[in-house]
Amino acid sequence: MDTQTLVETLRLERLEVNLFRGTTPDEESRQRIYGGQVIAQSLLAAYETVEDRVCHSLHCYFIRPGDPNIPIIFEVDRARDGGSFTTRRVIAVQHGQQIFNLAASFQVEEQGFEHQSEMPDAPHWDTVEDDIEAARRRLKDAPPEARAWLERPHPIEMRTVGGEPDEVKPDPREPRQQVWFRAKTPIGPDPHMHQVILAYASDMSLLGTAVQPHGVGWQTPGMQTASLDHAMWFHRPTDFNEWHLYQQESPSASGGRGFNLGHIYRASDGALVASCAQEGLMRMRRPKA
Amino acid sequence: MSETDPRDDQAPEDQAQDETLVETLQLERIEENLFRGTSPDTQPGRIFGGQVIAQSLLAAYETVESRVCHSLHCYFIRPGDPTTPIVFEVDRSRDGGSFTTRRVVAVQRGKQIFNLAASFKDPEEGFSHQAPMPEGPHWSELPDEAEMAREWLKNAPPAAKRWMRVRPIEMRSKDARTYWTTGPKEPSSQHWFRCRTPIGADPHMHQVILAYASDMNLLSTAMRPYGVHWQTPGFQSASLDHAMWFHRPTDFNQWHLYVHDSPSASDGRGLIRGAIYAEDGTLVASVAQEGLMRMRPQT
Repeated sequence: MDTQTLVETLRLERLEVNLFRGTTPDEESRQRIYGGQVIAQSLLAAYETVEDRVCHSLHCYFIRPGDPNIPIIFEVDRARDGGSFTTRRVIAVQHGQQIFNLAASFQVEEQGFEHQSEMPDAPHWDTVEDDIEAARRRLKDAPPEARAWLERPHPIEMRTVGGEPDEVKPDPREPRQQVWFRAKTPIGPDPHMHQVILAYASDMSLLGTAVQPHGVGWQTPGMQTASLDHAMWFHRPTDFNEWHLYQQESPSASGGRGFNLGHIYRASDGALVASCAQEGLMRMRRPKA
Repeated sequence: MSETDPRDDQAPEDQAQDETLVETLQLERIEENLFRGTSPDTQPGRIFGGQVIAQSLLAAYETVESRVCHSLHCYFIRPGDPTTPIVFEVDRSRDGGSFTTRRVVAVQRGKQIFNLAASFKDPEEGFSHQAPMPEGPHWSELPDEAEMAREWLKNAPPAAKRWMRVRPIEMRSKDARTYWTTGPKEPSSQHWFRCRTPIGADPHMHQVILAYASDMNLLSTAMRPYGVHWQTPGFQSASLDHAMWFHRPTDFNQWHLYVHDSPSASDGRGLIRGAIYAEDGTLVASVAQEGLMRMRPQT
């Protein structure tokens, strides 16, 4: 699926003033829906009920695995239309059950105090191998069905500094990583859609940061990982067809959970465009007795 | 959120000599998923944000059996009125095999003033790492803030003297001596804090009080580069959201170090992230908050 197809398939059908229906792209024949898709569609659902204001933050929970074979219903609650801020809550439902919730806030753009943390040093993206290319090389002896997804187009181009860790038996690394990423083909002129695609992409790779010190990967036998929540703050507007640096660190892991923080910088001028926080499940299943 | 009262990250004084914070926060159960709470009646202006976070978490806990909160995400939607009770509606989003998910909406006069989503699970063993506690002065080397306030306010007008009362959370800041000085400073800070009165044996209540206290003195970190604070004429500030992750259990009657910094301010808003360490360096919780911070347009 290329970026343009992603933009089209994220679009929602309006069933009622505050009720929307979305689907999952056919070729994403996964067992469960990718989390970033539900974040993106929920944000779009909220935007459908907001006029002329820009999302500055969102907070979500992944409640149940999403079923890619049936549509998702998005119910929007218009929590407040205030003088400066608009607040919305969205619940995503399948099979009569909540699979996801999102709360988000929207604001009229204004001028004021300005500061930001500096973009860290990172090797230029031209010198970093594309993650898909690296995976093709790493998985060249894998069965065809495991390689099929590598041959399809991908909406987001990603280049992990130092390469992605091995999926099964990686060497331990510090709980931080740097990923260059951007939408691969044009998103179009709608600035909201750049936010939506950035939100979609921000759920990729972040969870892996907390796993890195522990010498396991998401395909290590018995290893169980899943995004639990996701929060995102949009600091400055951006064009996500440009390269951005996703700087990630994990301050903590404990109790079967890992906590990750991310900051997204625009490469061209070092602007901090967004910050993310995500907790993920990371546990080894107990061997069956 | 509120756009009227800039005192947003200042917790109120303790309401009555004979009531502890634990008692103040208690809820009345109206129906299975419906609760009612009140505010300390001496509290002026609007409800302190940390109180609504704490009460909403308590409401969620009332519908959860034996699991422990590991994260919460909230929005402040409208200013809370301390003279009216708050009604908390709990939605039982999921009772799963490993996780329990809840949403809470806080309502006053038919309008949502606040929402919270939270997740709960059973404790388990597993992978563990944490960022080390940063260097800084120990609490025993720092002045008690209540003492300092008493000293400063000795000759203050009566209206200002309410700040002299004993507050439920004891605080000792690395930057206490520079609170009232103007001039730009780094957007980072740290303070030691703990609950003054005994919280008791219930570990959930230690989380609840920690959540209460985590909304204090946080937002001001994003204002430090600008030489403004909540009393600067024309300056407007308010908490917009609040997220918290509880990494490890703790006893909040003991001293904790709250380290915070602001990675960004733009568009009338500042983002602050915080980390809360026990005195032995254990990372107990992480916090993120965005706040409104703007100068009102001059008329």
